[in-house]
Amino acid sequence: MGRQYGFYIRTERCVQCHACELACNSCNGVERGLQWRKVMDLWRGRFPDVSNRSFSFGCAHCGRPVCVEVCPEGAISKRKDGIVVVDPGKCVGCRTCGDACPFGVPQYGQNGIMQKCDLCRERLERGRQPACAETCPGEALKFGPIDDLVREADGKPAFLLVAPTEPSVLISGGLTNDEIMGLFEFHG
Amino acid sequence: MRARAVEEAIPTFCAMCGPGPGCGIYAHVRDGRFAWVEGMRESPLNRGRLCAKAYAAPEWVYSPQRLKHPLRRTGEKGEGKFEPVSWDRALDLIAGRLKEQKEKYGPESLAVLAPARRTYSDFLNRFLVAHGSPNYGHSGICAMQKAFAFSYTLGGTPFPDIGRSNLVVIWGKQPVYSGSTRSNLKDILDARDRGARIVAIKPTMEPDVALCDLWIPIRPGTDAAFALAVLHTVVGENLYDAAFVSEWTYGFEELKDHVRKYTPDWAERITGVAAKQIVHFARLYASVKPACIDHGNGLEHAPSSNDAVRAVAILTAITGNLDRPGGDVFPSGGGMPRPKSPGIKDHYTSEWIDRLVGPEFPKPFQPWMEGTSSAYYRIIESVLTEKPYPVRTIISPGTQPAVSTRGTRNVLAALEKLDFYVVVDVMQTADMRYADVVIPVASMYETDHPFEFTPDWIMARRRVIEPLGDYKSDYEFWFDLAVKMGYGKDFWGGRIESCMNDLLEPLQLTMEELRKHPTGIVFPRKPPVYEKYAAVFTRRSTRLSREPFLPQGKVAIYNTTFEEHGFEPLPVWVEPPESLTGTPELAGRYPLVFSDFHTSKVYNAGWLRNLPCLREVLPYPTLQMHPDAARPRGICNGDWVTVESPHGSMKIRAEVNEGIRPDTVMALHGWWQGCEELGLPGFPLLDGGANTNSMYSVDARKAYDPLTTAMSSQTLVEVKKAD
Repeated sequence: MGRQYGFYIRTERCVQCHACELACNSCNGVERGLQWRKVMDLWRGRFPDVSNRSFSFGCAHCGRPVCVEVCPEGAISKRKDGIVVVDPGKCVGCRTCGDACPFGVPQYGQNGIMQKCDLCRERLERGRQPACAETCPGEALKFGPIDDLVREADGKPAFLLVAPTEPSVLISGGLTNDEIMGLFEFHG
Repeated sequence: MRARAVEEAIPTFCAMCGPGPGCGIYAHVRDGRFAWVEGMRESPLNRGRLCAKAYAAPEWVYSPQRLKHPLRRTGEKGEGKFEPVSWDRALDLIAGRLKEQKEKYGPESLAVLAPARRTYSDFLNRFLVAHGSPNYGHSGICAMQKAFAFSYTLGGTPFPDIGRSNLVVIWGKQPVYSGSTRSNLKDILDARDRGARIVAIKPTMEPDVALCDLWIPIRPGTDAAFALAVLHTVVGENLYDAAFVSEWTYGFEELKDHVRKYTPDWAERITGVAAKQIVHFARLYASVKPACIDHGNGLEHAPSSNDAVRAVAILTAITGNLDRPGGDVFPSGGGMPRPKSPGIKDHYTSEWIDRLVGPEFPKPFQPWMEGTSSAYYRIIESVLTEKPYPVRTIISPGTQPAVSTRGTRNVLAALEKLDFYVVVDVMQTADMRYADVVIPVASMYETDHPFEFTPDWIMARRRVIEPLGDYKSDYEFWFDLAVKMGYGKDFWGGRIESCMNDLLEPLQLTMEELRKHPTGIVFPRKPPVYEKYAAVFTRRSTRLSREPFLPQGKVAIYNTTFEEHGFEPLPVWVEPPESLTGTPELAGRYPLVFSDFHTSKVYNAGWLRNLPCLREVLPYPTLQMHPDAARPRGICNGDWVTVESPHGSMKIRAEVNEGIRPDTVMALHGWWQGCEELGLPGFPLLDGGANTNSMYSVDARKAYDPLTTAMSSQTLVEVKKAD
């Protein structure tokens, strides 16, 4: 049984600083105009009883990744450690995965080939964490085997994001599943 | 996917913001090119964390807007025509003019405008002292004004002991956009996680406010009125610490009488905060123990700035939250011996102070912490008014008067009239087209000095790449110029390494030895010491007389020092130059309060908009407004709008959301740069641009704090959908 890596997004500690986005771009050399990780804002309520929450989202490395299912070239696969990776040698840039992903994760750069978060797998091999989690000043973004993260969150109001693809994302901070999925409603 | 074969990771400091030492980074160099950065986990300051700005360093270093060769003006002022000259020739031009003017007009004809404080700031002052000019031009919008009010009320500036507090009040501060990687933000989040209550006092809902238990959306610039009404409640309801008050404060009885008139109802009209919320806050702050106030520079942008800070200081003291665990505490110092300061401060005399062209703090209060200083805006005004005398040369190192101080119209007129203007910078600046000489300097990724330090960490800066043009560092500019002027003996003979070694002497280290510790040396932290009242309350002031800050050796609630020099002994309320309650006659034509944000998640002051990775996050200048303000004006989110005040106008985009008072609109200051790579425009400095500084009053009687020259950033505006 392999591990499943994932993120614990503590929205009660996310301060919209965008450091995770920039760290990801910088460390992975992501080309201009693309983003493997995005910070999204959600406003609720009326002045002065307002709340503004945000959370940082990259690939959810889903338990049932629809991108793997739909790829006609077999270019996307899920590794034993749960990381969903794309083989740029096989991808033909048909964008089927982009249409299927409920979170709009797949990106297509100048070469047309799909690219996305791979959990900084080279860093993981060196015993490091993904760049986004390492930089997060509020320690809102935690990375690890999802079972460990769930254990860590025990007793706190955190929940695993519910979607048909089984995203490996644990969330706390008072946002509901519907609110979060609503942020992605233009996808999938 | 990128191959990462030949790569070197060089430990050094980030240089994307200030003041103080940068966060520790590893600068990755691939094939001789600075490619990317990551946080240094060995740094006790940032513990491996970095903010968004830090990652833009390679784009900054390789920006097409970099200045690479010294320039000399060939066209008319403002025309922007230059010819390249050598470093040596450029310095000869400056030294020649300075010598001539010193002879003809006296050394005080030179002023240096201070950038946001950097490690090199002390060297600017040192040069001025060597030259004989008192005119270090400091701008009244940052920590010096706050430190002044705190020092003359409490003997020093206390900082929040968030880690031990049960109530944290974020007041006019932005812990996310300023130093998010330091302990402050993490401490607030950790405090919240362990059940402490967090309160924010500021006009808009920013990311830190979003995480608070209580948001007090105050009208910009009315913090003094709010604080006075809180004092009214705390005193009136006997919520103060009677033992502390009787042992350690002076003038409490006078305060009792004085704050009687500052009722919550009175403050509601001015601050826009409901009286019952003011009372609620006062009771909360005075009853939850311990409680701390995380005070920010937002308190310093009003003509009542000094009294706002004094009122906050008094509140901290009388509620028993001063220098106690979990309250606001005086720093105990680190475990590391402090390097020497490069400032020269023993040259000051009353004759010297008399020559200030426009004192930042009144003459009896000079010098202040950094040395003697004139107000930044008063130096510029002297060029126009020639009173008491005109400054003849201004050097702007890392600062842009056209976007950094109020009254842009005056600034441009002064730069046009000025005899000699020198711009020293890494990047093209907003006003360099008025310069006679432009000096490019190395980014801090291209130099191997100075060392930087915190109370418990010291590290030498390391060079990441060789300079990309014909330039040297900021430090070398001042050292080389000093040698040319004949001030070499005050500048270690022009040798930076000798200077650094001299300053390191208390640590018994040389730069060479320090460099052997690639990530620096970390010293053990000392446990904090509390209730240091006897020591702090008897501290000597910086004034020539060295009389103590607190003549009675107690918290100066009633300030006899201020009274002696003709200023209010107790904090009072002063309206901003334009406001709904102070100038109701203007509110018909200009019904909305306008103010600006000083910091942003991706930009610093008037910089960094030219860097594509940051500009992608915030592509356009925006005016934050409430739907109730936008709807009747037919304005939708994203529309271009014209913002007009009695003094100027801007054209920016509406950002409509619920996170702001309906009677207030706010914009980010510092917009002028375009971004070539993204094809995004720059903005004019005056009407129709995005320069908030063009919007404010510069009326000498109304726009500035009478004691500390703090500059107001409030006015009234009307907003219309742009064509």
